[in-house]
Amino acid sequence: MISSIGILTSWLLFLLLALVFITNNLLKINIYVRLIVFLNVCLFLLLEIGLFFDDFTVSYISNYSASTTPPLYKFASLWGALDGSILLWNLTLSLFMYFYLKNFKINTSNVDIKIYSSILFFFVGYTIFSSSPFAGCIEANEIGCNLSTLLPFQDLVSSQIGRGPNPLLQNHPLMAIHPPFLYIGYVGMSAPFVASVSRLVLKETSSEWVNVAQKLTFIPWLFLTIGISLGAVWSYEVLGWGGYWAWDPVENVSFIPWLLSTAFLHSAKVTKHNNSLLNWNYVLVGLMFLSTLFGTFITRSGVLISVHAFSNGTIGTYLLIGMLIFSLLFLYIGSINRRYFISSEKLKNKFGRSGFFIANNILLFSSAIVVFIGTIYPLFYETIFSRQITIGRNYFDVLVGPILLLLIFLMIFSIKLSIKNINLKKLYEDNIIFINSSLLISIIFLMLFNRSFNLVVTISISFILISLITLNIIKNFNKKGNSSYWAGQIAHLGLGVLAIGIILNFTQSFSQEIEINSFDNFIFSENNYQIYDIVQENLPEKTELKLPISNGKITKFTSLNIFNNSSQQAISSPAIFRNLIKDSYISIKSINNNTFKLIVRENFGISIIWIGLFITSTSFLPKLKLRK
Amino acid sequence: MKSKKFSLILIIILIFLSFYKISNESRFEKWSKILLCPVCQGEVIYDSPSEYASDMKDILQEQIKTGYTDEQIYNFWVTRYGERIVTDNIARNFEIILIPIAIISIFIIIFLRKIYAKK
Repeated sequence: MISSIGILTSWLLFLLLALVFITNNLLKINIYVRLIVFLNVCLFLLLEIGLFFDDFTVSYISNYSASTTPPLYKFASLWGALDGSILLWNLTLSLFMYFYLKNFKINTSNVDIKIYSSILFFFVGYTIFSSSPFAGCIEANEIGCNLSTLLPFQDLVSSQIGRGPNPLLQNHPLMAIHPPFLYIGYVGMSAPFVASVSRLVLKETSSEWVNVAQKLTFIPWLFLTIGISLGAVWSYEVLGWGGYWAWDPVENVSFIPWLLSTAFLHSAKVTKHNNSLLNWNYVLVGLMFLSTLFGTFITRSGVLISVHAFSNGTIGTYLLIGMLIFSLLFLYIGSINRRYFISSEKLKNKFGRSGFFIANNILLFSSAIVVFIGTIYPLFYETIFSRQITIGRNYFDVLVGPILLLLIFLMIFSIKLSIKNINLKKLYEDNIIFINSSLLISIIFLMLFNRSFNLVVTISISFILISLITLNIIKNFNKKGNSSYWAGQIAHLGLGVLAIGIILNFTQSFSQEIEINSFDNFIFSENNYQIYDIVQENLPEKTELKLPISNGKITKFTSLNIFNNSSQQAISSPAIFRNLIKDSYISIKSINNNTFKLIVRENFGISIIWIGLFITSTSFLPKLKLRK
Repeated sequence: MKSKKFSLILIIILIFLSFYKISNESRFEKWSKILLCPVCQGEVIYDSPSEYASDMKDILQEQIKTGYTDEQIYNFWVTRYGERIVTDNIARNFEIILIPIAIISIFIIIFLRKIYAKK
């Protein structure tokens, strides 16, 4: 039932999108777009209903949910695997399309909404021709479904038990929040693309499209920032390896659009100011969107090994074709506007205000290049030399680290960028007390740690940045200023804090393996920990072996989760004793009768990292306040 | 606090601090952060809680105790698992660093030429 309704609704959706493409009547387009949003909501709800009622005749539900799965994770199972996640993707895309139609539609033509509908058309097409979350099960296993059909009204069979979501995805509530945030950020990058490309189809001669694209970029940028941050939190809290960022291919492909959109948010300001950089902004807007398609391709096609990858044979080719089509569109529109781009004003003053934005763009774009090459190089290497190679943290740390540090350094000057030209000497003299005290505090602070070159430089630069921006916010926030300037200041403040956390974590953390019996003590990094007896809890979906650990003041649990019906190994949830400067992070490696092997880590700077990411995520606040 | 000399003194102290390096990373730690756990998804054995990684760590520990050189350790693991197992390629495959640096340099040259007026 659900399968047939879902498939038919998808067809209807496909048809409506085709109608938007051929109609020129704005009133009709308005109705169609609303209907498209409505149908997408229906599809979303329909699959949720199926998940909650355990309709195992739907192949997706029988493979990625189980009757024993707790409600929250049933809900989140919709985006727990490839086919369902396309549904959330399409819903988000249709909402952005509606939002665009309401607020940013071109008055004279419907070409923008047609381009938008063609993007959605492409993704809905995937659920119809390639693989659908509503595909009915025609050959069931005892657990899960073996074979499915994309046609409605077939004789469907139901498996006895559902396979349940991937164990990693049902271990922490963040799993319900992190992907939707990331999707909004990812999918939202389509809006500036559509806005720019469609305005240039009409050969607009002003730089208004940059303005519109910038407005449309901030929301996806913000969601991407929050989404990536939540991913880092999830990785730390759930995966049990003690880190928050692994330069995993899938993390990288979410970072590339972030770097590019951050660059664009800056370069658009230069254009607003003096009508320059038109061509460059077009490149950035295009790459922002194409990099999200590339990211989806990398994640979904299974070409790379990663924690996040869930692959399916057909989608790789499908996405590759999509990337090709939209790249060609982008290049074609670029080429018919060659004259316009050549007319872009050239910059004259190498230093001063625009110089900082140019430096920012060079650094951000270079990081994107580094991350991109680091992600795809193993693929190239394997194709050319038929040998596999792994690009590890080292590559990224060596190349991206210094670039990000330079960016932090440049941010110090952002406090004065509201004026046309910047006088470095005056900036220094005006703030000498704060610069000196920041340096002094850095020295005292550094005495607490194992020092190295990168630690010293990062800490002192970040301290200066933080103190000057805080001072700037306290002194000038209520005076007149534009909202995007203050949004930038808050984002920069957060990044300064983040840099301190990252460098502490990078240079100071260490770990140890400990073998211990219950009721034993062990000493790690001057703390005495005691372990009590093991507690076994049998929940419907999993068996949990919990180990209470006390550090003398509080008791926390670390546990080993063994999920039913899953071939994967047990998942270890850490016990985390938190502190501003360092966390003690204890996870179980293995349990053998009453002997436990534990991995104990001293993770520095994690709370500081969370605070930094939180501050950056609140950078939208000035926009709310100052708009009124 | 208000004098430029004071800034200078502070910076000199910071420079001094930055060269005064205390490293407590053992060779074991260094190598366990380099070797990839072949059965995990992109984790090095240092991070991985799996049994497989644990066995690898035991072997590594043993090798370091018996006094293997870095070259010997490298050869041991690469002959068994292929180059894929080593995540720190920078020293051996230097092109990995050179390629992005070359592309970035080309990008910067073209970019600056396009956006700045010729004198």
